[in-house]
Amino acid sequence: MNNTRKIAAAGAFVLSLHLAILFAGFVAPQDPTAQNRDYPFAPPTRVHFVDTRGHVHVRPFVYPGVPRANTLYEYDESRERQYPLHFFVHGSRYKIAGWFEADTHLFGVEGPAQVFLAGTDNYGRDQFSRILYGGQISLAAGLLATAVSLMLGLAIGCLSGFFGSWIDDSAMRLAELFLVLPWLYLLLAVRSFLPLHLSSTQTFLLLVAVIGAIGWARPARLVRGVVLSAKSRKYVLASRGFGASDSHILRRHLLPHTYGILLTQAAILVPQYVLAEVTLSFFGLGLGEPAPSWGNLLANLQQYSVLVSYWWMFAPALALVLVTVGYLWMADVFHQQLQSDTI
Amino acid sequence: MKYLRRRAIHGVLLLFGVSVLCFLFSDLAPGSFFDEMKLNPQISPSTVAALRSQYGLDQPLALRYFLWMKSVARGDWGYSFAYNAPVRSLLVVRARNTMILTTTATLLAWLIAIPLGIWVADCAGRLQDRLAMAGTSVLLAVPELVLVLALLYWIVRTHALPVGGMASPNADSLALWAKLRDLAAHLVVPVATLVLASLPILLRHVRASIIEVLRAPFIQAARGHGIGRARLLFRYALPAAANPMISLFGLSIAGLLSGSLLVEVIMGWPGLGPLLLEASISRDIHVVVGAVMASTLFMILGSFLADVMLLVVDPRVRLD
Amino acid sequence: MGSEHAARLALAPSLVRARGLSKRFAQRQSFSRKEFLVDALTEVDLDLPSQCLTTLVGESGCGKSTLASCLAMLERPDRGEIWLEDRDLTRLSPRDQRKLRPNIQMVFQDSAGALNPRFSAAEIIMEPLEIQRQGTRKDLRARACDWMAEVGLSPDWADRRPLEFSGGQRQRLAIARAIALKPKLLILDESLSGLDLSTQAQILNLLLDLQAEHCLTCLLISHDLTLVGQVADFVLVMQQGRIVESGPRAEIFRRPQHPHTQQLLASSRVAESAFRAAAGGRS
Repeated sequence: MNNTRKIAAAGAFVLSLHLAILFAGFVAPQDPTAQNRDYPFAPPTRVHFVDTRGHVHVRPFVYPGVPRANTLYEYDESRERQYPLHFFVHGSRYKIAGWFEADTHLFGVEGPAQVFLAGTDNYGRDQFSRILYGGQISLAAGLLATAVSLMLGLAIGCLSGFFGSWIDDSAMRLAELFLVLPWLYLLLAVRSFLPLHLSSTQTFLLLVAVIGAIGWARPARLVRGVVLSAKSRKYVLASRGFGASDSHILRRHLLPHTYGILLTQAAILVPQYVLAEVTLSFFGLGLGEPAPSWGNLLANLQQYSVLVSYWWMFAPALALVLVTVGYLWMADVFHQQLQSDTI
Repeated sequence: MKYLRRRAIHGVLLLFGVSVLCFLFSDLAPGSFFDEMKLNPQISPSTVAALRSQYGLDQPLALRYFLWMKSVARGDWGYSFAYNAPVRSLLVVRARNTMILTTTATLLAWLIAIPLGIWVADCAGRLQDRLAMAGTSVLLAVPELVLVLALLYWIVRTHALPVGGMASPNADSLALWAKLRDLAAHLVVPVATLVLASLPILLRHVRASIIEVLRAPFIQAARGHGIGRARLLFRYALPAAANPMISLFGLSIAGLLSGSLLVEVIMGWPGLGPLLLEASISRDIHVVVGAVMASTLFMILGSFLADVMLLVVDPRVRLD
Repeated sequence: MGSEHAARLALAPSLVRARGLSKRFAQRQSFSRKEFLVDALTEVDLDLPSQCLTTLVGESGCGKSTLASCLAMLERPDRGEIWLEDRDLTRLSPRDQRKLRPNIQMVFQDSAGALNPRFSAAEIIMEPLEIQRQGTRKDLRARACDWMAEVGLSPDWADRRPLEFSGGQRQRLAIARAIALKPKLLILDESLSGLDLSTQAQILNLLLDLQAEHCLTCLLISHDLTLVGQVADFVLVMQQGRIVESGPRAEIFRRPQHPHTQQLLASSRVAESAFRAAAGGRS
């Protein structure tokens, strides 16, 4: 009972993160490629509730930023006029999941004021929006790659555990090989094998395929273990006694045992694979400009000047940490559920 | 002994398998020297063919693999186009630098994890334990990438330590003691990152094994005899919990060459990591293969070492 | 013993006959040349008279379960023949085997392990019927509920999981599943071990009722001679992969020929009750 509530809580957290990212167009005030040339490296806009005269406003407001004279990338707030924050405003058009078009944004403010919740980069692009859109790519890469790994692992693990003998031996030796190779090194090596300059979509699919294909070994071993132990159960033997075919036994008796393992592995692998994509993009081997990915957003920090002066460029790291926390929480809860199931 | 022999053979076979993969990799990688040549309309196909046979590239796969293995065994690990140097000398220097970093970090991490883990296991359930668990959870949730960047930011703002690299520009002119001090100063942040990244897992495992062992009847018996707490923990519980910890230690050894790539690249530490990254970007195939082989060798050695230690420590394994 | 019963026993044709069954298991460690050979069965001959209850007794590890598996076509003997009426089970193609499987069914010892914990009771009984394609899901569910009632389980429990049942109820469920296909031979491999005495008695009675109702031939494997003494028509004694003695219960208990049989009888210390049963007789 307790467990279901825990799973629900963890699931709700992760789901809300995913929803915010899926509906990036709605939540983000700006287009990720929109440049505000007047505001390069602007710090996060301060949202106020109390004005200069000490009155408290229910509706938050911002002051427009004004570049400070004779300085580079320093801004002051111009307190002449308050620009209240509006919700459900009309803005630039966007697409949800590639097909549903809309132009309502969660929040926005009238010009010339801007609300940069996470500051801007050197092109004046709103980092908050870029983080949300970047999350689409990084999360999608992680989820798809996980799906690839799990499908490969399920197939190989099932066949290996069920048929045994030389299929099992060779598959497990291959798995050992993959497990003994350091994965980040392997990732870089395989990436170097493949063409460097591809279109965004191609790079994305390539990343997903490579990251996913490298990680099949551990899920395969776990699935095999489950299949082996389930195979030796007497009810499988009884099924054979009824004349059950291999596919019947696999489908009805063995496969259901793998679901728990697969779910837990998924919760463990997604953050790892998101991190893999982020790392590759960080090094310039993944998605490049102008497509935002948490990796290439964080790559800005490799420049000394950015690292020292513009702390808000760390914001994608926060998003990454939130996703990792969410999934690790889910993995923990799934694991507990699995333990109590097998008792 | 037979157990060790079996594990050694196993490791060799694994290495063999990896070498096959690496060879195929280096052989089949597109964008090789000759593929580029083929695209050049000024060079006739027959010239290319002649050059290929001169380099022995038209011979059957198995033969090429055999020749490759022979040269690897002889110490010739290929040539780096980017650095204009034999791969081997590059690898040795970089690997040494990586080892300096990772050995320090691993030693430190274990030196902290064992006593801390034992202490925390001893007060299981109490405030210290819960704080420790919460702390490790937080650390686990923060990816290494973020950790490095955060620490880098901190030292850049506070100018407390030298930023990046392994040695200061004037290092060569310093006396030995000063040189060591300089090295240590450069080591602090990368080592701190690695320790912070690996400590949560080590701590949890040590804690879990000790808690498991503390439940055993022989511990209760020892307690009944009035044996002091410290002695009980270190002389009775710790050896009994050795098995899982040794396997974990083997994993630590295994990751000595490959676990620090991110830290090295971001902190500018001249180790194997940045070398592999650059080689990866510039398609310097021989370096890539060399680095992967070297780090895999370590992973295999690590697990073999764990097997040896297990044999020494646990008499039950010897009966196998 | 009633003369009528004795006469029936004497004339009972064999449903199943086995000749010369042998099975050897080889266990090998990988990368090692050592092999452990276990002769589970050596030249086993047996007859299972039709519609009678034969018990197979012996110590642990003597090969009882292997023999049961061979008879149920779950293992293939290395040598020998098994005749079910007029078909040799060891020479069948897999397809023919599948067709004949409904004739021989087995109930295992550990009911918790023998029933898939994720299935409901109805699904458990329906499974063999589904595999043998004997009807639509609705029909089969109705039949499953009927079988549940027949073995003494309330059909209201059709959607419960096996672990919600007690040990005795689970064995009833396992028996229901086994007889759902209306087999001719029902093998019970230590199915009563691990149950308390009153439950054992209930299950035994159920078994005898079912045997009479459905004209079943039963092979009851047990190491418990008290049990044997209560219900057996025929007794087979096994030792280290061989059948060392066989015959009607009364004779085995009164005049055990083989030293192993004598040993078993002596160690069970139920000679008294067995003699009483043999003398008073089932009529």
